[in-house]
Amino acid sequence: MDSQPQEPATVTEPDRAPQSAAVPFQPPAARAAGPRARRAREEGTVELKKLNAFYGSNHAVKDLDLHFAADKVTAIIGPSGCGKSTMVRCINRMHEEIASARAEGEVLLDGLDLYDERIDIVAVRRAVGMVFQKPNPFPTMSVFDNVVAGLRLTGAARGEIDDRGREALVAAGLWDEVKERLRAPGVGLSGGQQQRLCIARALAVEPEVLLMDEPCSALDPVATLKIEELIGELKQRVTIVIVTHNMQQAARVADTTVFMLDGQLVEVGPTEKLFTTPDDDRTEQYVTGKFG
Amino acid sequence: MAETRTQYQEELENLEVSALGGLDLVNAALQRTLEAVEHQDVELAQLVVADDDRIDGRYLEVHQALITLLATQSPVATDLRLISALLHVLKNVERMGDQCVNICKLIPLTGNEPPADSEMVELILTMGKQARSLIGQAKRAFGDRDVEMAQDLVRQDDTVDDLNRECFRLALEIGDDADRREWAMTMLLAARAIERIADNAVDIGEQVAFVVTGLFREFEDASHPA
Repeated sequence: MDSQPQEPATVTEPDRAPQSAAVPFQPPAARAAGPRARRAREEGTVELKKLNAFYGSNHAVKDLDLHFAADKVTAIIGPSGCGKSTMVRCINRMHEEIASARAEGEVLLDGLDLYDERIDIVAVRRAVGMVFQKPNPFPTMSVFDNVVAGLRLTGAARGEIDDRGREALVAAGLWDEVKERLRAPGVGLSGGQQQRLCIARALAVEPEVLLMDEPCSALDPVATLKIEELIGELKQRVTIVIVTHNMQQAARVADTTVFMLDGQLVEVGPTEKLFTTPDDDRTEQYVTGKFG
Repeated sequence: MAETRTQYQEELENLEVSALGGLDLVNAALQRTLEAVEHQDVELAQLVVADDDRIDGRYLEVHQALITLLATQSPVATDLRLISALLHVLKNVERMGDQCVNICKLIPLTGNEPPADSEMVELILTMGKQARSLIGQAKRAFGDRDVEMAQDLVRQDDTVDDLNRECFRLALEIGDDADRREWAMTMLLAARAIERIADNAVDIGEQVAFVVTGLFREFEDASHPA
């Protein structure tokens, strides 16, 4: 595929040099060869520094320091209301879309603060894709149009759109199932296929990071398994952060697992360790299901 | 957070009690075995052999229940380590029971009035008592999650090993009489079985350390002695 340089992130202040602000959103050399090419190892590293998130006076995320390594899957677990989804939504600045919600602290993507006032939020959301609990294909669009909807907004040429749309469907493991009905409505697919369609849509704009907020909670076991296998394949090209209530899913798909409680980080470590010999007694109590 | 999965926790606790209760069955079997050795009691030996079905039954029952828990409850962390350890304990219980059976099957082979060497019989009985002590201590260490007590099993096992070597020395020195030599060789097999029972108790001790620390390591490595 002929890869075109992506549109650089724009800055809102004219005195800021565009090149420096656009660094995290430029396609790395490794990806210039095509979306399936492996990314440079450090590309897509996310770091949270003293992240706090609020809903009005409700302090939902408290002083969170976390590092999400590139090419890894990180699972976020914790009881309902512990701040998992809020934290994840802070990474692509979705949190601030809610009235009275605000975030403080730093979210760094490859060292660049996504909360810098000069950063273009659209560019942030392109670099940090998100898949939600329920599949949400655009109801009036075809399968293919759904996939390339974000891409079209970038002003990419038609040939490139076709190539990258196909690549995204292949990457999402959906191509063989939909290649004969690309013009059919996206909502006509099964639930699992719709979720993979949403993943393809997120991948089409070649994000550095893919956030998944309980992506399988509305799916049957077979569709869930396909998504989990897909996550294992996608981590080669994108940093994945997955929020899940299913601890077995976290154990199956994640390299690193984070346990949160009451908006705070309790424990983070290799998934194998967290599920066999956790250090913190609260983690032990939670993962063994003694409390929830 | 609210307390959850109480039924599952209760079931796991009951299974631990049942698995460790297998050690009580083994201890009783070993006591009868030693009595049978001491008194050349063939009938008691046959009773031990028949009673091994109870130990095997305990193994099958608890093993199946643990597998069901694994399949249905997806245990992790301490629960997972405990279930893994209990599966090992069960295997050791079953093997210790089989060793008692092995000894009891030897007793009829020695005849009604064997040319027994009292010193060697005494050694075997001492070994057996020591092995019973190890079994009891292994059970307590597991129940109390007491790693120190578990590690102390090695010290007691060394005593059993020394007694086993002493038996071997006595067998070598038992003289030229063919019947006495045959009897001594048979008793060496009994001593060896008791020595293995003590080893099984140490294996259980290693599982105690695994449950507590999450790390498995042999207390003593036979292939790389300290």
